[in-house]
Amino acid sequence: MSGLRVSGLSGGYVPGADALRDVAFTAGPGQIVGILGPNGGGKTTLFRALLGELPVRRGEIGLPGPPAYVPQTERARLDFPVSALDVALMGAYARTPWYRRVARADRERAGEALARVGLAEAAGSTFGTLSGGQRQRVLIARALVQDAEVLLLDEPLSGVDGVSGARIEAVFAELRGEGRTLLVATHDVRQAAGWDRVLCLHRRQIDYGAPAAVLSPETLRETYGGELIVLPGGAHAVGVGHHHH
Amino acid sequence: MDLGAPYVQRALLEMLLLAVPAGVLGTWIVLRRLAFFSHAVGTASFPGLVLASAWGIAPQLAALATALGFGVAQEGLTRSRRLAPDAATGLLLVGALAAGIVLASDVVDVGAEVDTMLFGSLIGLTSADVWLTAAVAAGALVLDAAMRRSWLATGFEPGSARALGVRPARADRLLLAGTAVVAVVALDAVGALLVAVILVVPAATVRLLTDRIGPLRLGATALAAAEGIAAVWLADALDVGAGPALAVLGGSVFALVAVATALRTRAGAA
Amino acid sequence: MLAWLTDPLASPVIQRALAETLLLAVACGPLGVWILLYRDAYAAESLSHGMLPGLVLAALAGAPLVLGATAGVLVAAAGIALVGRDARLGSEIGVAVVVSSLLGLGAILALAPETPPRLAELLFGDLLGVDATDLAVAGVLAVAVALALAGAYRPLVLTGFDRGSARALGAVPLRWELALLVLLGATTVAAVQGLGNLLLLALILAPGAAALRVCRRLSAALALAAALAALAGILGLLLSYHLEIAAGAAVALSAVGIALVSVPLGGRPAH
Repeated sequence: MSGLRVSGLSGGYVPGADALRDVAFTAGPGQIVGILGPNGGGKTTLFRALLGELPVRRGEIGLPGPPAYVPQTERARLDFPVSALDVALMGAYARTPWYRRVARADRERAGEALARVGLAEAAGSTFGTLSGGQRQRVLIARALVQDAEVLLLDEPLSGVDGVSGARIEAVFAELRGEGRTLLVATHDVRQAAGWDRVLCLHRRQIDYGAPAAVLSPETLRETYGGELIVLPGGAHAVGVGHHHH
Repeated sequence: MDLGAPYVQRALLEMLLLAVPAGVLGTWIVLRRLAFFSHAVGTASFPGLVLASAWGIAPQLAALATALGFGVAQEGLTRSRRLAPDAATGLLLVGALAAGIVLASDVVDVGAEVDTMLFGSLIGLTSADVWLTAAVAAGALVLDAAMRRSWLATGFEPGSARALGVRPARADRLLLAGTAVVAVVALDAVGALLVAVILVVPAATVRLLTDRIGPLRLGATALAAAEGIAAVWLADALDVGAGPALAVLGGSVFALVAVATALRTRAGAA
Repeated sequence: MLAWLTDPLASPVIQRALAETLLLAVACGPLGVWILLYRDAYAAESLSHGMLPGLVLAALAGAPLVLGATAGVLVAAAGIALVGRDARLGSEIGVAVVVSSLLGLGAILALAPETPPRLAELLFGDLLGVDATDLAVAGVLAVAVALALAGAYRPLVLTGFDRGSARALGAVPLRWELALLVLLGATTVAAVQGLGNLLLLALILAPGAAALRVCRRLSAALALAAALAALAGILGLLLSYHLEIAAGAAVALSAVGIALVSVPLGGRPAH
């Protein structure tokens, strides 16, 4: 397992209009990297680049394999007639040839993944009937089934209920223990402070490194611009448009 | 084309009168994305037209009744969230067409009459039809003058508004009602399936040329009038209804303008 | 009572019509489920309406209808795709212009000539006039579409359920959205002989809508849609035979009726 390495990454969706510039960092196995930045600041663009889906791209990316992607739940269709187990099973689709049924071993993996995120009893429930936090956990289960060494998570804890949030953080710890690398886009500065590395993005890389070094008031100000709020006692909060789960 | 023939005079007058709502309400139909709604009102009237022909009542009356029925059914199905809006509309329309042809094969000779209902006819226009169109044209002018500020102000998207369960404001209901009434008087000239060729195509063509409402309204009216007259000539020459003739003329003009403006944009950007 | 069901089957005309609708059901049912899930109902209607000039030209030239249908669908699709790129109008307006222009063109081509082709049959279908060749063509197309849909199940699920993650899970979204539209085109070509270009939409949308109302699982919905489409075909032919009404329209009405009956059932919101 080798983690991931990015150097000189720039690019965007339209030639000539870079959404992201000069990103360079290395994350090893067993590390959780918090990605901070305002909406539109490049977090999603970075994920697209890592997934190989960015139309315009310069620079180099070194990955041990295709990453797993956990989007925010409102991206998924709630009216689709699929159960939680069906969604978790989607993680095995990429490795199943088109002429074969999904392997029984993968079906079991899907069930186990749901159990890991605490949703074993909800396996048969229709995805759209679950709560926001539960749906987020199902999408994480899907990523678990993919068995990728690198996971990209887009604000997995935003607006999620307490029970789901605790479960998700527990899974993070397990994945870290397994030697996987997690990139977690978040607005929660306090949470990012508890992880291994922090990457600050605002159309370009502002800083990258251990939280203690990176999370200075100047860096945060440069990252978030006017959206930064300094609370009494020196803690920071960021006022951003809220995503709803 | 024999300008002395009464049917030609009526047809020309009808198309000129229709040009008024085509410009005035067509502007809003294009800006507010009501093209499918106007097409649906026209198409759904088909079974009503068949019954009106069998029972000897005014086709416009039947068309108005089916428009109302269609609107109520569509709103009911989508508001209850049991069917997606585009599925509900598609099903209601195809159901109306199927019902119409079943009725037609029992009560009316399947043949020329069905063609006339679906695609309009030059010869079939009566003086009463033209008077009705004149009244609706005048009404459209009044409605537009009264409502245009409201229509501009409210952001109205029928599909998403209904999907969210939001009640369209009174202003928007008036726009829908006005569109339905205009569709009803247009369909005896252009046919139930081709209401869009008069209500949407001229305004859409002019929309490619301007962003401003004033020029859009005037341009759409002028274009609809010019195309309407040409359509009567073409329809008379080929012995078809005004609808198909207008469709071909209007479509060709639209294509030319679309290509010309696209080339101009590319040249400008280069 | 049994005679009511079996009498019609004695006629070879009805036998062929029944075979045609059962074959179409196998494709139209599942396709309709996907069309509804992908929110492509408007596209389906536009393709079928806009293909009319192709049908008329084939009828005028004495060429096989399937050729005219294919050409018509391709032209309609191209027109819709081209106009859809213009941001000023929005796709709804653009599609309306293209479709009504094509419908009108088809009508002029059909109504202007000295000996007009049977326009009503092109619009509303000629289900009882299906011969062995028509049956073979429709059969091959329908079975091909059904097999393709079955084989493409997983990528279609990935793209439809969560487009943003599809690529990471092994399916390029644009490719499969296009594939679905191609299958829609093929099904439209298969169904136009029997149901006509105005009514074939019923056999695509209605069974799928009913199945989605009732089923909680996608695989069940796909299977039920095929079964309901077949039921609509059988019911329609029975009604056509006993009540002496147009066969294609009877099938379309049966399908829409099945869909409307399903509306009060089931509990999931559709959007």
